[in-house]
Amino acid sequence: MLGKPSWFMRRKYTGWGFTPKTWQGWVYIIIMILPFIIITEIGNFGKIQLTFMIIWAIIFAADFIHILLNLKMDERERIHEAIAERNALWIIILVLGLGLAYQAASGIASQNNFTVDPVILIALVAGLLAKIISNIYLDRKN
Amino acid sequence: METNIAYYRDKLGLTQEKLADMIGATRQTIISLEQGRYNPSLLLAHKITKALQRKNIEDVFIIK
Repeated sequence: MLGKPSWFMRRKYTGWGFTPKTWQGWVYIIIMILPFIIITEIGNFGKIQLTFMIIWAIIFAADFIHILLNLKMDERERIHEAIAERNALWIIILVLGLGLAYQAASGIASQNNFTVDPVILIALVAGLLAKIISNIYLDRKN
Repeated sequence: METNIAYYRDKLGLTQEKLADMIGATRQTIISLEQGRYNPSLLLAHKITKALQRKNIEDVFIIK
């Protein structure tokens, strides 16, 4: 892997993911983003350009996930992170639920049929599955 | 939970940062512990006790 988790810290007040903690972290971010800017600025190379962008994006995403999973946190930070993530999830579920209810209600009111965005349903079911799998794994682990 | 972390840390001439590094925690966690705002796990309490060169957890952490 290219980036070291010790160069970064978890993003607390500005969203999800991580933010650079050391100068190496900033250099890493610049190095990872620079090829995208250069390729875009150089011009259109068609397939070669697209292939390079996809490969670079895969490398970037894999490294990003590796850093994220290995970010150093002590137990207090882990507890804080877990509570903050739980609260965020509750709000997301609430908004998605209200969205579903609104879609269903407006569908019934206007066309008398039950129409909802499948993406919202998939998101809720996927979240439910993630929770079930996490609980099974954690119950077996300790 | 009250603690004697600051007392024993000063005695050993350790900064909050140094103690945090020794036990694999952050300085913010040490501050919270010293101010009695955070109850540590048994493992963390043990690590701190060891880092402060005390034999008993009760020397460092006071449960009332």
